[in-house]
Amino acid sequence: MMEVNGSAMIVMAGKNCVGIASDRRLGWNKQMTVACDFQKVFQLNDRIIVGLAGLGTDVQSLRNLLRFRMNLYKLREEREMSPKAFSAMLASLLYEKRFGPYFVEPVVAGLNEDGKPFISSMDFIGAPTSAEDFVVQGTCYSQLHGMCESLYRPDMDQNALFETLSQCLQAAVDRDALSGWGAEVHIITPEGTYTRTLKSRQD
Amino acid sequence: SSSFEHHPKTAAQNAANAFCVVASGTMASLTTASRTGSVASGKAFPDIDHGVTKHPYERRFSPYELGGGTVVGVSPPGANFAVLAGDTRLSSGYEILSRKQSKLFKLTSKCCIASSGSYNDVKQLRHVLEMRNKTYADRCGKEVTTPSMAHLLSRTLYSRRFFPYYAFNVLAGVDEENLGAVYSYDSVGTLQRYPYSAAGTAAEHMEPLLDNLVAEKTRQDKRETPLTLEECKELVKELFVTAGERDIYTGDAVEIAVITADGIETEFFELKKD
Repeated sequence: MMEVNGSAMIVMAGKNCVGIASDRRLGWNKQMTVACDFQKVFQLNDRIIVGLAGLGTDVQSLRNLLRFRMNLYKLREEREMSPKAFSAMLASLLYEKRFGPYFVEPVVAGLNEDGKPFISSMDFIGAPTSAEDFVVQGTCYSQLHGMCESLYRPDMDQNALFETLSQCLQAAVDRDALSGWGAEVHIITPEGTYTRTLKSRQD
Repeated sequence: SSSFEHHPKTAAQNAANAFCVVASGTMASLTTASRTGSVASGKAFPDIDHGVTKHPYERRFSPYELGGGTVVGVSPPGANFAVLAGDTRLSSGYEILSRKQSKLFKLTSKCCIASSGSYNDVKQLRHVLEMRNKTYADRCGKEVTTPSMAHLLSRTLYSRRFFPYYAFNVLAGVDEENLGAVYSYDSVGTLQRYPYSAAGTAAEHMEPLLDNLVAEKTRQDKRETPLTLEECKELVKELFVTAGERDIYTGDAVEIAVITADGIETEFFELKKD
């Protein structure tokens, strides 16, 4: 089910910054490409970006659901949600649908109040893994793991983080038929979020 | 004794089905018929069919077993060497059978083959190629050249197109102009000569990095001088360290062979044992 539409996603931690990179392909039935600008990465508040890898329809539904929950939290609690709370909420949301799940494997990139990066990913029924360095999801996760494991260094600044994320993602999606067709990278720093679209192979 | 029957299948059918033994009721039903109503009267034979004759099921023997591991060959364009490496772990499921099983095999003084996959097929493949090389050397007075050996391997794999060798191969050597050559294969013999190739369980982890660093795809800053031998060896070690982190079948040690016109040298590099 995860391979119907295709996706590739990396979240990587740097020094007081965190970055997320994703492809932009939307495919149908593992065969055709129908869009090269399908958004799978959503900034939910100043410090949290979530990337949803998997079935396109569930990506969009879950995005609306998450936006709703964030807004409700903000109204009730009168403060922003922390990345850790968001990740826990997302895991719980997914497990609610344990026997009829959303076919989405999310990755969460967040920056805590003290500037420390927060990274987590989970499977489609909400089992979370949190890492210190990077997490990957998508149809080419083996390729992404290989690239990130080799190119990652701890405590990168935002420029080095951007370069590393771009190289990892592009090299990995070039070895996978179901992902690619454009790429975007977002870096969250205490000053703000920087977004760049990558020029990449359109195949 | 048990009443199983072996149904021979035609060659056109799936090879694995040839090993399928179907428990059928044809022979046993006669004995069952003769035993109707025999519970009270005492039976001639004990009831040993355990319901098999009433509910036939399929037994299956798989001729393949994944031994795991990864092999890599690198020879940058224009280089006069080829580097071939394979990890030394042999596994079966979640168990490790050996930490020191070599995946490399010297075929001629100028080429080497590295194979991962099912070890039985790997051994047979090596044997077949070695025999062909020896026969050729006997008759023609010289060894098989590397490109010929590469094509021989391709044809050997295709000869078993409908019951494949479960071997993922990379062949590396020096060709007649003393340039390094690396050939990559799939398990039925598709052949391609390319500057690098990875095969095995962690091949997908390694290929994008090879694309990025050897062929320099997706890079704006291209190298001025080509990759040297030392850089290739370091790259290969790095690849296996990465693969060992993320792939359970890869680890223990890497055997790295450097093939030049002067011969083949091997060294070992230790990896994590977990």
